[in-house]
Amino acid sequence: MKSSYTIFCLAAAAILTSCGGDKAAVSVRDLLPEEQEFKLAKSTTERFRYAARETSGSGHEGHAHATKEGGPQLIHDIPEGWTEKPAAMMRDVNLAFGENGEGECYLSRLPGAGGGLEANVNRWRKQMGAEPLTPEAVQKLPKKTLFGQPATFVDVSGDYGGMSGTEGKKNYRMLGLVLSNSAGAVFVKLIGPKALVDANEKQFNQFVDSLDVKL
Amino acid sequence: MPKSKIDWSPANWPRLLFRFFSSYGLAAVVLVFLTIITLFGTYYQVDNGLIAAKRKYFTSWFLIHEFFGKFPVPLPGGLLLMLILFINMTIGAVIKVRKRWRGIGLLISHFGMLMLLAGGFVTFAFATDGNMTLYQGMKSSQVQSYRKWQIEVRPVIGENKAEKAWVIPSEALEKLDPNEGKTYDLPDLPFDVRVSQYYKNANAVPTSAPVSANAPGKEIDGFKLLQQELFTEAERNIPGCVAEFVGEDGEKAETILWGYSSKFLPDEKPMPFIFEMGGNKYAALITKKTWSVPFEVQLDKFIFEKHPGTQMARNFESRVTRMESDQPEKKVEIKMNEPMRYAGFTFFQESYGPPNAPIEEMFSQFAVAENPADQWPLWALVITGIGLAIHFVISLMEYSKKSRSNRAKS
Repeated sequence: MKSSYTIFCLAAAAILTSCGGDKAAVSVRDLLPEEQEFKLAKSTTERFRYAARETSGSGHEGHAHATKEGGPQLIHDIPEGWTEKPAAMMRDVNLAFGENGEGECYLSRLPGAGGGLEANVNRWRKQMGAEPLTPEAVQKLPKKTLFGQPATFVDVSGDYGGMSGTEGKKNYRMLGLVLSNSAGAVFVKLIGPKALVDANEKQFNQFVDSLDVKL
Repeated sequence: MPKSKIDWSPANWPRLLFRFFSSYGLAAVVLVFLTIITLFGTYYQVDNGLIAAKRKYFTSWFLIHEFFGKFPVPLPGGLLLMLILFINMTIGAVIKVRKRWRGIGLLISHFGMLMLLAGGFVTFAFATDGNMTLYQGMKSSQVQSYRKWQIEVRPVIGENKAEKAWVIPSEALEKLDPNEGKTYDLPDLPFDVRVSQYYKNANAVPTSAPVSANAPGKEIDGFKLLQQELFTEAERNIPGCVAEFVGEDGEKAETILWGYSSKFLPDEKPMPFIFEMGGNKYAALITKKTWSVPFEVQLDKFIFEKHPGTQMARNFESRVTRMESDQPEKKVEIKMNEPMRYAGFTFFQESYGPPNAPIEEMFSQFAVAENPADQWPLWALVITGIGLAIHFVISLMEYSKKSRSNRAKS
């Protein structure tokens, strides 16, 4: 019995003294030959893999967009009465409508979840002066098909404050689609004076239905 | 019968501790708690993923479980419970137990159970897991972690090459408070690095993007770093941080480091942030932890078969050549249930990619595990089984003997 608890005491001491230690110090390692080379990114945009967005310049209504040479192309129709604006940062497709181009519709993509469905829906609602929706209410929003997948449809009217929330455009309407999954997030947003958007809702649906990727 | 009085004097404490740790009561309590945390941990895994559940319930000393998401209840963690059970079984069932032939079976089976617990600890403390991805014709000895991201600062040689890396490990980064950050001294380099806004899952978005309009955080080079919700599958999280490099003479460089700049395909090169400090060029990036195995694996052929008329994989396997200095080359087939075990490493056929690529452009992905206790559970169960079988035979013999004796008497 005595020898038994002597063993026990020794084991307990060994366990207590073995605890602790800092594994978090900066260390230096040799790189394997296969990991020594790296690619020089020309810009932060390239480093973060935001592909340079180019309009194809095909002259055929300008409705094909290449992400990189030989890569998959984003294709779509340009609805009647709509025009294509020059490509802009974060806008893969950039369209305008209305006599003075006061209505606009664009598609943008983000890697990852793009901030999440609920945050994006409520950000858009906030821009229109609308109250945020609960997560349950966001889940219950209607769906439309975008690239063959169900995307959350947002339809909200009000005074459009713009990105900064200070533009103060009265009586506007916004239509939007959010598609977010592990492959990335896609947003389609249409904004303009309410009467103009009401008159272009059919064209919005036509544009959304025409969106596709050509491999 | 009156109870004997307990001697609480300090001289008797070791004896009391010994009695406590070897008691059946302690074993029963520990087993009940193990059942409870296994149940709660399993439920937690559904919403929070395997890694989070393992960390919170099974490799912790203590934890706070929230009943119905509201009522916090402190519980002992799996690590503590299994350590107590190991001590309890060692003292109670191996050291203290009366040694006699009729108890040999139970003694052996307890050794088996102790081996199982010890194997669990060795796996927890020393096992590593990662993956290796190869296109056909490629060879490598490099294994990449699934979940451990680290910051590396590499002195640049020539245009786009580096031979050494100063590493801030994932263990340090994961403890960082995103709002406070921390400065790290890089030994022998003429600058320190201050890491702030470290998010385990992040998205670097251009400030022109709508989502960044009201986002907090610093704007650097036209980008902001946005914190994202953590995925339940921890390997899908892509971390990011703001890194500020401060030289001895006040020279500064600042950037956002984001995991998306590291490599994702077997033949890709990472795209680090390049900066100059003290007249020398350096590259900085967040990248997954890598290590090497002491041999090279070359993918000779990747076989991929689909179910007819579907995109679902029916079978995928790899024909590889294992190459090692001073050893003849060895051809090996790695299939889904037939791993390659060599030099303490196990290569499992895990996955393939990219999705929808033609077969000649597909890569094969191997899960690479190094676990000194890899086979311990098997041996532990064999030992326990043998012990129980011996105990069963001894009990049966005693029963038959007793029956015969009773029959003779009657």
